[in-house]
Amino acid sequence: MIVTVTLNPAVDKMYWVDGLKMCDVTQEEFLTRAIRSSTSAGGKGVNISVFLSRFGMENVAMGFVGGHTGHVVVRDLRDEGVTTNFVWTHGETRINVTLLQVGREHSPNLVNEAGQTILPVEVDRLMRRYRGMLSRATWVVLGGSIPPGVDPGIYGEMAKMAKDAGAKVILSTGGEALTRALGAFPYIVKPDTREHMTLEGKGLTSVDAIVDAGRHMIAVGAEIVIISHDVTGDIAITRNDVWEIKAATPTSKFKNLVGADDVFLGGILYKLVQDAPLEEALKFGLAAGLASAESEEKICRNMDVIEQELQGITLARL
Amino acid sequence: MKVRDIMTKDLTAVEKDMPVRELIFILNNAEMPNVPVVDEEGRLTGIISEKDLIRAALPGYFEMLHSTSFIPDMNQLSRKLSQIADQPIEKFVRTPVMSVTEDDDDLQAADLIIRKGVKNVPVVDGDGRLVGRVRRIDLLRHFL
Repeated sequence: MIVTVTLNPAVDKMYWVDGLKMCDVTQEEFLTRAIRSSTSAGGKGVNISVFLSRFGMENVAMGFVGGHTGHVVVRDLRDEGVTTNFVWTHGETRINVTLLQVGREHSPNLVNEAGQTILPVEVDRLMRRYRGMLSRATWVVLGGSIPPGVDPGIYGEMAKMAKDAGAKVILSTGGEALTRALGAFPYIVKPDTREHMTLEGKGLTSVDAIVDAGRHMIAVGAEIVIISHDVTGDIAITRNDVWEIKAATPTSKFKNLVGADDVFLGGILYKLVQDAPLEEALKFGLAAGLASAESEEKICRNMDVIEQELQGITLARL
Repeated sequence: MKVRDIMTKDLTAVEKDMPVRELIFILNNAEMPNVPVVDEEGRLTGIISEKDLIRAALPGYFEMLHSTSFIPDMNQLSRKLSQIADQPIEKFVRTPVMSVTEDDDDLQAADLIIRKGVKNVPVVDGDGRLVGRVRRIDLLRHFL
């Protein structure tokens, strides 16, 4: 069974606008009307759960939810066929807002809330439930930011528990949470570089810098490290190989980039669960991510489109 | 049609050492009238509901009364609830618990819910682990 953990899920609220009015003077027109909008459950693990479920892969989504927005997350996941196992908290699940300017959807504006503060008793409750789930888990995805109140070392602890229980771990986060989890030997690490294109203070602007960062993480404990190079390309570093996965898709084709990176990981997992080799999984993952980026809907649902995207993807050993 | 095709796939559950206060919080926030009780491996061991807590907080003779007008005020209920708030739910849990398996026919779940008048019935896998629940509304949606 696949278990995804999203400690800081969100309601993803997206607005498509013709142009965002930003005024300096109070008398100016300040109302921007959305052409359309969408609301869906979000967060790294949550997005991966939805992707897997859409392609018939049973999985359980865990994490913290609270308040009215927490019900939106849980309801959405259930409607998608995902099994939910969330801990209810005293706070309110956050809302992340994306503004997509029509014609320029490839460069969205995101405003993410920090998230609700989690109490120690709520962390304890989640850890007990998580421990119970591990007896059934073969893969565990730990994804996203750490909400206020939770020790950034939690992913490290969870990764170690999963490994001890015989499950493989995919970790997608950033900052201290990432650094402190590397020693727990996660199988795949995908650093979140959306906010800062740096890892441990070092820039990731060149292929050499990315490979160095990946090799450092492998030396500390990760088996496979995948780092975004640009929007349509990633670099995968293993103990023995370095791969560049690339797509020829022009960015102007992108309609919604939110969640595409998570679908990339979801696609990799989808293939690895079926015992596909890493190279095939990487290509499929990127194809799935592109298919999502090219659809208005946050997460793609059409295997034919993914297969079509696969044709334009190259994998080269560096 | 099988139970797996109609059930709500949710694993919200509690363990028997949870304090009553926390259970009330979960029942309220998850908007559930009852919640399954599981062991550390997620195996279903019982069920506990709002009704069980109310019963636990009321005097023993209450069920013999036909009207709440015989109770002078709600202070007694409030006092009793405060007394048990930090106690583990263990002694208020109902066991054994009715359940169905994922592979049972949908009619079996419907039969239990209708005949026993319960709001939902837990669903377990072959090892007795909780995998979801069938709610009244799941039946109504399904049979419409």
